[in-house]
Amino acid sequence: MKESPQDTADFGYKTVDREEKASMVADVFHSVAAKYDIMNDLMSFGIHRLWKRQAIACSGVRKGHKVLDLAGGTGDLTAKFSQLVTDSGQVILGDINDSMLKVGREKLRDLGLVGNIEYVQMNAEALPFPDNSFDVITIAFGLRNVTDKNAALRSMYRVLKPGGRLLVLEFSKTDNEALSKLYDFYSFNLLPSMGKVIANDSESYRYLAESIRMHPDQETLKGMMDEAGFEQTTYQNMTGGIVALHRGFKY
Amino acid sequence: MIEVIACAALEAALNRLLSLEPQLDAELHTSKHKVLCVELRDWQQSIALTYTGKQFMLFNQYTDPADCKISANVDTLMQLSNPSILTHLIRQDKLDLDGDLQLAQSYSNAFSNLDINWAEHLSRYLGDAPAQQIANCFQNAKVHRVSVSKTLQNTLSQLCQDELKVTIHPLELEQFKMHTRHVKNHTAQLEQRIHSLLNR
Repeated sequence: MKESPQDTADFGYKTVDREEKASMVADVFHSVAAKYDIMNDLMSFGIHRLWKRQAIACSGVRKGHKVLDLAGGTGDLTAKFSQLVTDSGQVILGDINDSMLKVGREKLRDLGLVGNIEYVQMNAEALPFPDNSFDVITIAFGLRNVTDKNAALRSMYRVLKPGGRLLVLEFSKTDNEALSKLYDFYSFNLLPSMGKVIANDSESYRYLAESIRMHPDQETLKGMMDEAGFEQTTYQNMTGGIVALHRGFKY
Repeated sequence: MIEVIACAALEAALNRLLSLEPQLDAELHTSKHKVLCVELRDWQQSIALTYTGKQFMLFNQYTDPADCKISANVDTLMQLSNPSILTHLIRQDKLDLDGDLQLAQSYSNAFSNLDINWAEHLSRYLGDAPAQQIANCFQNAKVHRVSVSKTLQNTLSQLCQDELKVTIHPLELEQFKMHTRHVKNHTAQLEQRIHSLLNR
């Protein structure tokens, strides 16, 4: 029997069963969790820190806020949010992958950040929180790994408080032809080799490059956010559009 | 992206300053978690500064509400190292301040009272005596620089006023201003008299 598009999902350039994608993505992150931070620094030449800074600057997180850092991985954003919300607020670091959560929890505890951070293993498509729970939700470099992105955006909209905002930091499409060619060469030739040498895993980094190419471009993602119910949706390109920061509000 | 890099570098510098001068923490105790937004008019940039009690956080392109918002040109902000002129600058319309004035004053006080004990920090690497020696040398050099700069300024002023005659003495300027004021008053009186004659 032929599979319908509703039963399948992209896994990089491959098309796989919808149910299989989550476990395949999980395998990728189980494999890279231990070397995730060092690989991020090497792959992006440290620029990922600037992209994340910009996301935090646009978040408007203040003392007393309740923040959900989805696909928070090793907790780069949570570390900053935890200091901004203080003990009167709360940050929930959510990730579908327990290996990433363990690395994140260890890192944040080593930094002395305890007390206002909770670690929850969760699927972004069905967030285990009541309606109107969070002032700010962020998902940095995580949305492209979600099987049903529309369901995830709807779920985020549901748990966001009225007046709250969602920030999606994700790889996107550059409209600069020269940069695009250079970026493709780097992604498909150098990145897997770096993954092989440092994390002893070239396939996971090949998936990273492919998943970026399969992810919706800036305008499509903006449309998806609008469709999920977000208002005043805007995006800001960074590093020539290699990464885009989308922002939407719930009123 | 350059703005983000500059902001990150500035944040790192501020946090380095915090580690060099722990007194900053006490000075900014009441300002913890409050957002001070500085709008640089001539650079068209908005930078938000927050002190979390552990570190400074600095964000550019800040558009959210802040506890205190200052809007001024860069050269005006440089003058804020003297907190007493804050209200003077506001009256002159050189600076707009919206929100908690005390927050701006506490930051201004904290940074103007900075007194880093360089000898103590250097002594970890060089030992007590050489570190003290270097700190003294820098202190003396600083005093010497101020004195030389003052002498140079005086000499240059005298040269321009008395020898080259390209500028006038401040007293002459004051006298000129007084004459101008007199002429202005006379003109106003004359104008009034002409008006009254014409209206007869």
